[in-house]
Amino acid sequence: MTENARLCFHCGEPVPSTCNLSIEAEGQMQPVCCSGCEAVANLILQSGQSRYYQFRTENAPKPAEENVGIEESWQRFDERHSLWGTPLKDGRFELLLQVEGIRCAACAWLIRSQLEARSGIDQVQVDVATGFVRINWQPDKLRLSKIAAILAGVGYRPHLPLAGAESMGRQEERRNALKRLSVAGLGMMQVMMYAVALYAGDAMGISEASERFLQWVSLIVTAPVLLYSGRVFYTSAWRSLSNRRVGMDVPVALAISIAFIMSCINFFTGNGHVYFDSVVMFIFFLSLGRYAELIIRHRNLQTGLALARLLPEWAELIKGGKTEQVPATDLRIADLVRVRAGQTFPADGLVTSGLTEVNEALLTGESRPVVKQPGDKVIAGSINQSQTVEVKVSKDPDDSTVSVMGRMLLKSQTHRSRYARLSERYAGWFVAVVLSIAGLTALWWLLHDTSMLFPATLAVLVISCPCALSLATPAAIASSSRALLEQGVLLTKSAALEALSGVDTIVFDKTGTLTSGSPSVVNTVMNPDRDKYDEEAAFYIATQLELDSSHPVANAFNSTEAKRETVSAVVNHDNGVEGRVDDIHYRLGNADFTGVKVTELTGNLGRVWLADEFGWIARFDLDDGLRDAAAETMSALRARGMELIILSGDYDNAVASVAERTGITNWHAGQSPKMKMEFIESLQEQGKTVLMVGDGINDAPVLSMANVSMTVSGASELANSTADFIMTGNSLKHLEYVFKTSDDTHTVIRQNLLWALVYNLLAVPFAAAGMIVPWMAALGMSLSSLLVVLNSGRLARRKPVQTPHLHSGEVTQ
Amino acid sequence: MSMLYVLIPLAIMLLALAVWALLWAIKTGQFDDLESHGWSVVLDDDQKPPPMDEENTENTEK
Repeated sequence: MTENARLCFHCGEPVPSTCNLSIEAEGQMQPVCCSGCEAVANLILQSGQSRYYQFRTENAPKPAEENVGIEESWQRFDERHSLWGTPLKDGRFELLLQVEGIRCAACAWLIRSQLEARSGIDQVQVDVATGFVRINWQPDKLRLSKIAAILAGVGYRPHLPLAGAESMGRQEERRNALKRLSVAGLGMMQVMMYAVALYAGDAMGISEASERFLQWVSLIVTAPVLLYSGRVFYTSAWRSLSNRRVGMDVPVALAISIAFIMSCINFFTGNGHVYFDSVVMFIFFLSLGRYAELIIRHRNLQTGLALARLLPEWAELIKGGKTEQVPATDLRIADLVRVRAGQTFPADGLVTSGLTEVNEALLTGESRPVVKQPGDKVIAGSINQSQTVEVKVSKDPDDSTVSVMGRMLLKSQTHRSRYARLSERYAGWFVAVVLSIAGLTALWWLLHDTSMLFPATLAVLVISCPCALSLATPAAIASSSRALLEQGVLLTKSAALEALSGVDTIVFDKTGTLTSGSPSVVNTVMNPDRDKYDEEAAFYIATQLELDSSHPVANAFNSTEAKRETVSAVVNHDNGVEGRVDDIHYRLGNADFTGVKVTELTGNLGRVWLADEFGWIARFDLDDGLRDAAAETMSALRARGMELIILSGDYDNAVASVAERTGITNWHAGQSPKMKMEFIESLQEQGKTVLMVGDGINDAPVLSMANVSMTVSGASELANSTADFIMTGNSLKHLEYVFKTSDDTHTVIRQNLLWALVYNLLAVPFAAAGMIVPWMAALGMSLSSLLVVLNSGRLARRKPVQTPHLHSGEVTQ
Repeated sequence: MSMLYVLIPLAIMLLALAVWALLWAIKTGQFDDLESHGWSVVLDDDQKPPPMDEENTENTEK
């Protein structure tokens, strides 16, 4: 294991054993895993920013191959003024870019220091939570494509935010919430100060004039806080009421209105107590909770914008021998489009001329380019990497694979919201109970002692605030998601962690999920007539031949022992490789290439033959290699009582082989996305709670159909955008950790809810009996919420699992 | 105690000022990124990235 534990200095991924690249950092040679990482790391080190590596808390994103041609592809935006961002008064522009791969504060610092040093860029703001970069710049000094190139140069891929208006709206939402919070906070400090004086006055005596004055100023400060910070509770309560539901905000709105109005009446009639302090305190604590919730929600939205940026905005249409730029949505069937190297295909179509390599990573999660020649199908959203090609559009933009996927996605997401609505109903019940208790209290005091009517009712409403109840779950989940993140698992939808503890069935996709997506040799068959060679020798020859090959199959023949000196005259062909090893001419490739007569059909299992002039020597059966720890994790999960199922689009043989190696008995091959969806639906109808683990774009609708979903590292971006959990490490080991975390979270949530219940059962009778004054109620409410938060904090301090070579903290050493 | 009638209105005026300043700061985005600026103290060197070649040629053209 130790030689496999070499991790890339830049991105932290394991370095392939065939790779000998390294860079010099702080006097030491450090390994890097690819030339992309090498280039980025060199740029960072040479520009004197090596401290990035010391202070970062997350590994850097592995620079994508498509980052290389980014300057060229962005040049077409250079002259489009509408894309330069919002014009400012002094001729500068404010550009908003959505940037992939921003993971921690050190990323933000790196981007800022790279950009701000350029002339033409005045100010850069990086929002780590949402991945947006806001740039104040002067288009006459610096080109837009240059900015993109600088960002790509340090490994962060920029996108024009197509959903710009929406993301601007989110920033606006966050700023407004912060404004409301700070107004409430400042207001609370003042009113509490006056309240202390008033309560002291109650106890020790105060002049009438001073008391009136202090009540006056309390009113003056409370009113704007109520109108500004409290407005949001009224709008939300009104919205839920007009939908004929009793939301959490109804008692809140009721409590602050009653408290404020009654305080005003008492103040102006000159008898009775005022409760302005309770009003502002209540508003402040609620705003604080809402703000924390908003931050978590926005963080989770970051990954949800993938679909919009898959497609280019415009296409190069060939018409009557001339080309013109048209919006990509105007393309129709049979239109001829030219797609240059580095561009994204604007529509589904067939290649009519040209030969190129296409990266379909966004769709399949497979980052190796696929060769396309005339007659081959290309899919909108994939990237043309090497040559200009002409494509005949075969589907209207609305019917393209990506759009259809998008619609399926939407459908399955609405399907799932059925479950989400369930918890809302419980909250509604709780609120209804609180309201009726408050009503009964009011009725009782109305009949017995009207002077207690108002304070007792108010105390009931405030003390039974659903705060502890509504904090119980989010606080626990926030702590757990932090703990998970440290283990390389990103939680994107918070409700999923709770749902996970109910999971009894796990469905895996095969390719790229259980397997690593790169082939390995699972079986070697020797030719009995050629006893001069043994398995080891045959494998050694194969590794020599594949030493410099970039063909996917070469990954199966990785060896550190291969020596360059003994191999010569290697020629790569489409279906094999030939060359001389120790002065004997060998061929390694498929049956045709090596001249082997195939007598049996083998299904999808890849087979490669090694042959010399006299016939074949050995046959290597290839299959996808399993991911790290796949088999152990599967048996651990089975020990937890999980039912494990493989659903794969692959052929029987390939799936059976993986199923056998992982010990999963329940597998289904040849499944289309639609069949997978139906399968999961039927499981759910049987009352099962399903976790789906997948990676490709085909899995996206299936992922969102399942109760809980998870993607593995290297998954397509669209799949990630629908997943509840995203695993960033290569190993499947963390799957079990996620389940453990989910169990612990569930325990803590139950403790929290129990506490909230006990607290309410204890406090409400006292409040209804008039023994608790409203300010005590507000304090009790806050303390009970605090307890819930502290209890949840324990989750973040749990001991992580032992992961000797994947823990992010060790990578930088 | 009559001093209260001067001091408290004064405090409220200061409060209004503080609220205005805070709202202005939020509106201009000073609270959008609370994490990375804290790092600039630890990280910022006097070293700047080397000027890029293209940039030099651009500058000399102007």
